[in-house]
Amino acid sequence: MLTSKRSDRALPTFISLLVVGVLLMTFDVRLEGGGVVGVLRSGTQAIAAPLQRLASFVVTPVANALDSLSNVASLREQNAELSAQLAESVAQLVAVQDQLAKLDLLEQIYDLETDEEALGRTIANVIGAVDAALIIDKGTRDGVLAGQPVIDTNGYVVGTVKSASSGSASILPIVASRSGLTVLIGSQTGTLVSRAFSSDLGLEMDFDAFDAREPVLAGDRVLTSAASTDYPAGLPVGEVLADASPESTSLTTTVRPFVDPEALRFVVVLAWPPDPITAATDDTLPETTTTTVDGDETSTTTTLPEEDG
Amino acid sequence: MRGRTALIIGLTVLVAVVIQTTLFGRLRIVTPDVVMLIGILLALTKVRPELVLGVAFISGLVMDLLGASLIGMRAVVYTTVAYIAVRTKERAELGRVTVAVWAGVLTLVGIAMLLLVGTLFGQAGLVGDDAASVMILVPLGNLAVAALLAPPFVRLVDRDRTALRYP
Repeated sequence: MLTSKRSDRALPTFISLLVVGVLLMTFDVRLEGGGVVGVLRSGTQAIAAPLQRLASFVVTPVANALDSLSNVASLREQNAELSAQLAESVAQLVAVQDQLAKLDLLEQIYDLETDEEALGRTIANVIGAVDAALIIDKGTRDGVLAGQPVIDTNGYVVGTVKSASSGSASILPIVASRSGLTVLIGSQTGTLVSRAFSSDLGLEMDFDAFDAREPVLAGDRVLTSAASTDYPAGLPVGEVLADASPESTSLTTTVRPFVDPEALRFVVVLAWPPDPITAATDDTLPETTTTTVDGDETSTTTTLPEEDG
Repeated sequence: MRGRTALIIGLTVLVAVVIQTTLFGRLRIVTPDVVMLIGILLALTKVRPELVLGVAFISGLVMDLLGASLIGMRAVVYTTVAYIAVRTKERAELGRVTVAVWAGVLTLVGIAMLLLVGTLFGQAGLVGDDAASVMILVPLGNLAVAALLAPPFVRLVDRDRTALRYP
């Protein structure tokens, strides 16, 4: 009797909470994760981060041990496969070192200065996961900001920072991201789209090119394109799974990303673009710097190109 | 709800959220949803049903805020599961096995709802890349956890050592 009386107010409460929940979802969709919603996320992460970090110290060995137990059956095969990959990678490394040595020599001969700037990198531990998102132990205090690209320790693309608090951040992997990623296969630019939002769930992604000129082959590497606004150019993303030829000018194929987000323990957050203001200026009006040497005096002039029209 | 009960529930939800986002967020084989389970098991206590719904909503909201899903999605699902739990708890209070099976079935309903609502709001990837195994493993995980922890949890919240004692 007592229970039935008490349940009387349960239905109005239930309906009210449902309405509030649906309203929150609508706000989140309309604000696209920004505004108040972004502040709420950052605030909750800031509160939970110390506890998660503490818990991570305790649970990481347990999680690793249980993961190892579950993978013990396939461990021998994985070891053989990794040994083969290692041998191949060592051979490639030697070849690259040889090319680098030649490059150094040529730069010295022609007195060239490289203008490469090392991107700021923040190495972070993955301390947890909620749904598809990964939680890391570095935040705005360490220079991690929303929107920055994230790679794994091998340099493969993982995803982007979705939100960041002072001591933690959440990473949205490319396989769970709704937005497409502009990539390059050979010389062809296209868009890589996650299948997480289609009926065919899985780690694979779909590559679509609309101005395709040549076929792509299984095993071709997929790299981030210079046209991408989210990632620096040239980062390895994955490899093509199946051969595909252009139909008219469009081409579609399947790509398997190199990174399985569930297996990640460490990630690297890139401070990219290095200077957003400079990058923005570069995008709009690229500067030309001219250095003139006249006897002992050296003068540098920076000019902006004339606007069209 | 007295202060001490509120404190116990708050701490339990906090511990559940931390464990869910760290330990169970990393494991692939053992994957209960302990935060959803808290909302289900609270229905077995003497806590008022509307407060049970409130706790389920807030714990779901916290999970939404910590993750990448739409804010409010888990809150809605956890609240619905808690409401079904409130309405059906009399059928569960027959024995330890019944409670565990009841919790497992409600979890299955919750996971199915997450998939449904997720698909409607463009978040089909919410439960991971293998929806079928999630729909089996998570309810089984919650069933096992409920079999172990339901009686002590109810006794702790109600401060009644005789609660959920079966012959």
